[in-house]
Amino acid sequence: MKTLLALNGITKEYSGKKKAAVSNISFELQKGEIVTILGSSGSGKTTLLRIIAGLEIPDAGNITLDEKVINSPSIFIPPEKRNCSLVFQSYALFPNMTVKENIFFGKQSRENLEVINELITMTNIQEIQNRFPHQISGGQQQRVALVRALAINPSLLLLDEPLSHLDQDLKTKIRSELSDLFHKSETTTLIVSHDMEDAMSISDRIIIIEEGEVVQIGTPLEVYNYPTNRYSALLFGESNFIPKNMFSENCEHFFDTKSDQDVVSVRPSQFSLFNTNSSNDKLVIEGEVISVNILGDYKQVEIKRNQFILKINLPILFDVKISDFLKFVCDKEAK
Amino acid sequence: MLKNVLPNLIRLTKIFSLFSILSGEINIYSHRHYDSDKILFKKFTQQTGIKVNVVKGSADQLIQRLVTEGENSPADILLTVDAGRLERAKKMGILQSIDSKILRKNVPQLMRDPDNNWFGLTVRARVIVYAKDRVKPTDLSTYEALAEPQWKGRIAVRSSNNIYNQSLLASILAANGSDSALSWAKSVRGNMARSPRGSDRDQARIVASGLADIAIMNTYYLGVMSNSPDITDQEVAKKLGVFFPNQDGRGVHINVSGAGVTASSKNKKEAIQFLEFLTSKNSQEVFAKENYEYPLKVRKNKSKLLKSWGKFKYDQLQLSILGDNNTDAVKIFDKAGWE
Amino acid sequence: MFSLFICILIFTPIALVALQFNNNTENWDHIQQTVLTTYIFSTLILVLSTAILSTFIGVTCAWLVACCEFPGRKFFEWTLILPLTIPTYIAAYSYYDLLEMFTPMMIWIRSNFSPESMIYFNDIMVYLVTSLVMTSVLFPYVYLSTRASFLMQGNQLIEAAKTLGHKPSNIFWKVALPMARPAIIAGLSLVVMETLNDYGAVEYFGIPTFTIGIFRSWLGMNDMGSALKLSSYLLFFVFFILYIEKYFRGEAKFHQKNDSSRTYSPNLLKGKYSILAIFFCLLPLCLGFIIPITRLLFWASSVSGSFFDITFFQVIFNSIGLASVSSLLIVTLATILIFTSSYFQSKIVKVANQFAILGYSMPGAVVAMGFLLIAGYINQSMGYLLTGTLISLTFAYLVRFLAVAWQPIDSGMEKKCDQINQASRILGNSALISMFKLNLPLLKKSIIVAVLLIFVDIFKELPLTLILRPFNFDTLATLTYDLNSQAQLHESAIPALLIILVTIPPIIFLNNQLDDRL
Repeated sequence: MKTLLALNGITKEYSGKKKAAVSNISFELQKGEIVTILGSSGSGKTTLLRIIAGLEIPDAGNITLDEKVINSPSIFIPPEKRNCSLVFQSYALFPNMTVKENIFFGKQSRENLEVINELITMTNIQEIQNRFPHQISGGQQQRVALVRALAINPSLLLLDEPLSHLDQDLKTKIRSELSDLFHKSETTTLIVSHDMEDAMSISDRIIIIEEGEVVQIGTPLEVYNYPTNRYSALLFGESNFIPKNMFSENCEHFFDTKSDQDVVSVRPSQFSLFNTNSSNDKLVIEGEVISVNILGDYKQVEIKRNQFILKINLPILFDVKISDFLKFVCDKEAK
Repeated sequence: MLKNVLPNLIRLTKIFSLFSILSGEINIYSHRHYDSDKILFKKFTQQTGIKVNVVKGSADQLIQRLVTEGENSPADILLTVDAGRLERAKKMGILQSIDSKILRKNVPQLMRDPDNNWFGLTVRARVIVYAKDRVKPTDLSTYEALAEPQWKGRIAVRSSNNIYNQSLLASILAANGSDSALSWAKSVRGNMARSPRGSDRDQARIVASGLADIAIMNTYYLGVMSNSPDITDQEVAKKLGVFFPNQDGRGVHINVSGAGVTASSKNKKEAIQFLEFLTSKNSQEVFAKENYEYPLKVRKNKSKLLKSWGKFKYDQLQLSILGDNNTDAVKIFDKAGWE
Repeated sequence: MFSLFICILIFTPIALVALQFNNNTENWDHIQQTVLTTYIFSTLILVLSTAILSTFIGVTCAWLVACCEFPGRKFFEWTLILPLTIPTYIAAYSYYDLLEMFTPMMIWIRSNFSPESMIYFNDIMVYLVTSLVMTSVLFPYVYLSTRASFLMQGNQLIEAAKTLGHKPSNIFWKVALPMARPAIIAGLSLVVMETLNDYGAVEYFGIPTFTIGIFRSWLGMNDMGSALKLSSYLLFFVFFILYIEKYFRGEAKFHQKNDSSRTYSPNLLKGKYSILAIFFCLLPLCLGFIIPITRLLFWASSVSGSFFDITFFQVIFNSIGLASVSSLLIVTLATILIFTSSYFQSKIVKVANQFAILGYSMPGAVVAMGFLLIAGYINQSMGYLLTGTLISLTFAYLVRFLAVAWQPIDSGMEKKCDQINQASRILGNSALISMFKLNLPLLKKSIIVAVLLIFVDIFKELPLTLILRPFNFDTLATLTYDLNSQAQLHESAIPALLIILVTIPPIIFLNNQLDDRL
């Protein structure tokens, strides 16, 4: 594999703000990879994307794209000369042009006629080519923006919250479409999102950033299972932070600043009811049920044991009441 | 970049700028905007074939413009009212000395610059006008007497922004010194029927309306009003009498409107010719007839209306002194609170 | 690079004036000791009284027209902006004898009380009448912005207040008015700027404001230094107002998001209330438009036909030509400037722009002075004469009116084009392609609005044109002023009427544009 994009020490501050929007960020993207930058709103992820696109100039650091330096203290390649394309969160379709005109507005788009026609067919927007952006639906706009971005045959495609404007049904559908499309067209893609489902389903790797700094980089399963801090863990939903010393074997752990000790992140779904077949090496927890909630197709119970409370998911049909005593075993495996 | 842009810009402006340096033309910066001037300019062109171009504007702005334009100014003549202003223009170096026998003969000495930078063209007297039905002429005597408490709330005068008032105070300053000029200005301000505003004509209207009883104003405005097409103006004029103050002392304060040839003039010969023409006997009659201004030879005036106001003695103060005292006069007004 | 050059060029006159703040001049001590406080107080009194009157009339009319229903509402909706067509100096001329109407009352006071009380009362009347005359033609600024705000608030909040059991009057004070505050302040700041800018009317009514003081020290005392210093004081006053305006506008963004429902159920006014409403809208309309126009028409009708000679048509041609060419030029430059600042996200250009657009808040006389300073330097150093050419006049207009073009184009650009331009860059297109293919078509409406606004402003402009115009060159505005200073009141009514007539269609068009946008 070949490195396509490399960031090194990228920093950007806005005047009047104490904290840097983006601070000393470094990572690499391999050719053909799909990577998601995941972070809560205000974490600096969009700024990072705009810096890579050339829409903002970083205060420090280098960026190399396709073995060409595009950002360094002395070099700044303007966005129109970088071979990367960006799909905006609100799509930024030109309202005074038809869909077709939009798609062919890119500078080298005429040279990629074949590819573009294929893209149009693939995304199923042939019918609406002569309409104006305001005459088509949100999902269609999304696809047009995508095709427009790919039409210039970029070496790197950037997506800013690609699915945030779409409703739930459409999201699921487009998610798989996207991942198909990227893999087929072998486009290296960098996505910015705050939605962990997007990140999990589309990407090869996930980069987690918090307050402008990279916290963790890894495959979706890695970051889900073995977060390196509380923030990282909670981006993927609820989790229990159990002190490391309760485990007999050496689990993947991190130092939690909130509780001031080494902890292991265990998801509510990573427990099962204790039975005689359960392995004895594993952590066993017993406690009183203090609440029961039905959440979709499972039940979540809160178990109180000594001073702390655990959240555990149970099958929806399992009969449980408040003040029952239950015994669980933690299924989490060592890495 | 600047090097390329500027010459082009300048070339472009030259096309736009409408001045001419062709002979047979003179360019005038004029503050005067009277029909009499239009008539005389036309006559001059008819007689000499010299075309007259005019930029009208307020005198002070025109003087400022001449200063900034410097040697490049297209103007040949500055034509304005008030000797104080002409003197200021001279001090700023925008006029030049002219040696002309005719002008020396036509313009009395006190009505021109001792160095011949400017020459008076017409004479105006700043008099006291009174409401005939409420004020007896015997109640009036001098400018100085207007400071007396009996005039409390009865006087109408315009703002001290006005050059005629500045020159009047400059003459009082010359006669009585700055302390008494200040106390005079203070008292007169205190005697005013309302805070000063409007034109001389408005002062006449105020007196006619009964708000004030007397006004300080130039005579020719009264002439214009009594010959106005507007009947209300005529009626205002009918109600008012003219009083020439200080007849037992230095005489009434007079002023001139006048002109000078600019230092930058490119048509000096024609400009001098033009001034000589304006001071000629015939032109002087036009000024008196059309604009009710006194001719330079005040006593030789032939206008019926002007004669009806009577003969008067006028202040023999060299008018250039009005210019010397101008800044001091303005400061005294400021101190006196006369807006 | 080009943009920066333009910005600096425009910024220079203002900077030169601002730099005078610490410059001590020969007469400054004198001015400070004697008249400075007068200037400050009379300016403050005039500005305050005009602001209060304008707010009262503007907000009430806006509320009646936007949120109530009464016979004639539709008519008042657009006629209430017509006073904007009348420049303050023409309003002052048309009301030249208004103060004299009070003479009998004054005489009565003198004979029944004392001369002192008459003088005192007279002084009050001067400010009252002047601010009333100013208000009568300036209140539409407040009316326009407040009405827009009332309409934009939508009905949801007002309905919510109704369901909570509030009376309409209560809703006005507790909900609608506080929410319209940023809009009121915005309109009000325009009123204040125009009041500060005015020279004709204050001169006419004899109020010693800063602008009068500037002219007096510059021309009367021949002390440009002091005049510039006074200008710099005025400039800081303007900065202060701009700051206040900005402070309140900060919240406006928040308010404007609430424009959800536009189905709106106005208060139906009945009986004596509807008559009151009609009366209240009719009063400012009469004062600000019908009475001045009628008087001007009356005067104009007595003018003989010989007035309409070739020179007069030349003047009309001059006015229209100058205003069209200058407004097109200014808008072109503004578009380029805004485009570059949006497209390249350049901070320097943005900051420079902020300063450059200050020109509009500066009185025309101050701009003219700054310009004369530059012209003086150029004349001395390069021996080239800039004064008295159309180029210099156009440049001065540019300094003064760039901000007028700025507002509509910039907001259009921000709303429509910022992201669009970024998208276009990403797709590898050059700046020129973005500008011509995307921005110009998208901003067409904003650009037309800007051209018209500036056209109207230049058409009415007096002090700058008066000082900087070339030889034998008159516009309708300068002709009005000249004729008036020659006391040819009747003749001056004709150019004055033409100014008003020509500006009516653009103003109505602009009003409709505004309505469409709501």
